[in-house]
Amino acid sequence: MYGSPSLGRLLPLLALLVVGFVLPRYVAEYYLYLGNVLMMYAVLAIGLDILLGQAGQFAFAHTAFFGIGCYATALLNIRWGVPFVIGMPLGALLAGMVATLIALPATRLRDVYLGLATYAFAEGAQWVFNSWTAVTNGADGVRIQPSSVFGIVVRTDTQAFPVVAIITALVIAATMYMMTSRLGRDMAAVRESEHVAMASGIDVRRVKITAFALSGVYAGIAGGMFTLFQSFVNPEQFGFVTIVLVLSMIVVGGLGTLPGVLIGVVILGLLPEVLRTVMRSFQIYQELVYGLILILTMMFMPRGIWGFIRGHGQRKKK
Amino acid sequence: MSSFALYQGLANGIVTGCVYALIALSLVIIFKSTDVINFAGGEVVMVGAYLGMAALVYFELNYVLVFLFGAVGMFVIGALFDRIVLHKVLGRATPGQSILVAMVIATVGLGFAMKGTVRLFHYTEEVRRLTPAFRGPPIELGPVFLQRQDVAIVVIAVLLMLALFLFFQFTFIGKALRATSQNPKAAMLVGVPVQVMRLLIWGIACALAGVAGILIGGKLPMSVDMGGNVIILSFAAAVIGGFTNLPGAVFGGIMLGIIQNLVGITISSQAIAVAPFVVIMLVLTIRPQGLFGGQVRIKKV
Amino acid sequence: MSGPLFSLRNVTVQFGGLRALNDFSMDVQPGTIHALIGPNGAGKSTVFNCISRFYTPTAGDIQFDGKSILRAAPHEISRLGIARTFQNIELCKRMTVLENVLVGAQPTIGRYGSFWPSPRRGRIEAEAVKAAEALLEQGNLLAYRDVHAEELDFGHQKMLDVCRALACRPRLLLLDEPAAGLRNREIAALDALLAELCRTRGITIVLVEHVMQLVMAVADEITVLNFGEKIAEGKPAEIRASPQVIEAYLGKGSHAAA
Repeated sequence: MYGSPSLGRLLPLLALLVVGFVLPRYVAEYYLYLGNVLMMYAVLAIGLDILLGQAGQFAFAHTAFFGIGCYATALLNIRWGVPFVIGMPLGALLAGMVATLIALPATRLRDVYLGLATYAFAEGAQWVFNSWTAVTNGADGVRIQPSSVFGIVVRTDTQAFPVVAIITALVIAATMYMMTSRLGRDMAAVRESEHVAMASGIDVRRVKITAFALSGVYAGIAGGMFTLFQSFVNPEQFGFVTIVLVLSMIVVGGLGTLPGVLIGVVILGLLPEVLRTVMRSFQIYQELVYGLILILTMMFMPRGIWGFIRGHGQRKKK
Repeated sequence: MSSFALYQGLANGIVTGCVYALIALSLVIIFKSTDVINFAGGEVVMVGAYLGMAALVYFELNYVLVFLFGAVGMFVIGALFDRIVLHKVLGRATPGQSILVAMVIATVGLGFAMKGTVRLFHYTEEVRRLTPAFRGPPIELGPVFLQRQDVAIVVIAVLLMLALFLFFQFTFIGKALRATSQNPKAAMLVGVPVQVMRLLIWGIACALAGVAGILIGGKLPMSVDMGGNVIILSFAAAVIGGFTNLPGAVFGGIMLGIIQNLVGITISSQAIAVAPFVVIMLVLTIRPQGLFGGQVRIKKV
Repeated sequence: MSGPLFSLRNVTVQFGGLRALNDFSMDVQPGTIHALIGPNGAGKSTVFNCISRFYTPTAGDIQFDGKSILRAAPHEISRLGIARTFQNIELCKRMTVLENVLVGAQPTIGRYGSFWPSPRRGRIEAEAVKAAEALLEQGNLLAYRDVHAEELDFGHQKMLDVCRALACRPRLLLLDEPAAGLRNREIAALDALLAELCRTRGITIVLVEHVMQLVMAVADEITVLNFGEKIAEGKPAEIRASPQVIEAYLGKGSHAAA
């Protein structure tokens, strides 16, 4: 949590970039689609973890920002032909601004109340997506138009994959730098003890608002990524199921830790696919398996899988 | 809008409000004692409804036994969940925020597990409705017509709330439960078996929600997803009561039932969907401790 | 330098019906160790919490270096040069010992872009780590540099709290019951540490304490609080003999030679 991320930690990201360009030649479209989905969830989950795991603020408005970024990027492209490279940052910026606005009243709330109020906001946002038909086309959704990235029109998962990989690698790298910076320490201090933070010169409220804004930007970026490889966006994506999924990913994987979050993304993101191949009528069992995973993980690994692995490693050292 | 429609809306609102109140009570009882928000609240209601259906259709019990079956069944499920899952989660030390998160996620898991389990029974694929206990022509109360089932709902709900009040105020176990919820450490020192208390709390809360489910099942279409529809209103009701106040939760529930009906009549049915969220956000921003909660607790340095 | 470094002037703090502090005044001279004692509930923590700006006095003023601090927000206090420890050792439990000190040093660490590398960042962070390590060395905690704060034993945690407070290079250090729970050997070490901080480094120290053995040994000046009011003030010898203080209950461990 100090200095800078070591080269050892940055190297896997370089590998990700390489994989991003090389893999599409050798692997079927379907797996590339899965990869795109997982990478998008990674960005989404990391964003939520910054707020929950790093700064310790239990706020669940995340899907609202996800939706804002998604609709903004898609609509900017459809209505005004704004290319992805500009549209996505704009969408993320918008999401970040809304997040900041929400943070202003929200940071005055604590614990339970913060969670409930922000969750209510997320549901309210979904209602807006459903009802503001003039802009979002309501429940019918918006058909996404393929966007051009530096001249190349991205139509397929194969074409999207390298772009998604680049964005993901950059986001993870920036996150690593952030977590080891003064800002990262400030957030962790706010999470651990607000009194210590204040006595150490940290403006707690400002840090909380910053964490909110950041989580909004990350969610907005993920929303933009969504438009690269999905053909259709509708309000369904931005509701209870999604927020619970992302929350589960970070808690099961390991709250507050980057490797943990990524583990959680992979496991819970691939779960439906694994079930599909292993059990034919997976749909029926999906919820049950998912629920059991959550229950069992909390019973035996409350700090998440990564927390469990790390704890075990330390015990062995002694 | 005619005053008749207004009164009818009010009356209908009170009926659904009573059910929301019961579920809100369930949430608040758990929160007050354990600081955990039970995200499986909606699913508990759903399972209660299906247990009731099983008792009615499969075992062909009379309605009194149906309620008993549902209540006891849900009590057992709640108690088991606490004993097996929450006990283990709490046992894993590391106090502070992370334990609460773990417990809340466990309740989320419970919700999904319940849904998943109920879905396994093919019987539940179709949307059904519990046959009402009380058939016959609607009763006329002043300007308003109420279905007999609805009157029954209000009566049963009020009786339950009374019973709960008496239980917490006057019985030994009830007082021990209150002591535990106010100050677990002190209660432990005085010899109250805190773990047993927590188990009882979960059992009672789930039993309440289960009965609410049976009551709803006679009115609304039952499906495996029905939990999601009622839970958000119950959350809003609990928030109005400050999440720590039982009478507040009742008030909140009835208020919301009325608001929901009136909004549906006056504004639009679409607005009904967002009303509870707006209520939650407003109450929490303006007065986080709800209309009835006391001063927000400040941690001593 | 004439005049007190730090003073409370007629501070009154009222919580609803409870008057935690009543017209309380205290001057702290620079370069001294000033102890604040009194029975439990006398209002000592309230004084510290006012200085930290967690509470705002109902009346009165608090001045540091001649200027009122009552306009400052809680997070601006350490920038002014005032640091404190906490009675309940509020450490960042899941952060390492080194990271805890880095948190304390925050006011001294410059700004840089958080999301990307830069030479400036590298330089600033390296300096900060070096300074933190030096502090840990003095506190005999360098060996625990990468251990999580929650895994330290009690005495080490208290020391870490002090190191964290010292990390912002304060001119005034507020210690909230530093000796509570320490063994005699550790209290002696604390005694030496306080002497060194004050005499050698010129840090002014205000100490809230119950352990009389430490107070009598180390304090230059003692103020006694009871029920939110000052009942005595003076040198240790005077306080020891004061009938009012003896009457108001001197607290535990009064094995200081009477």
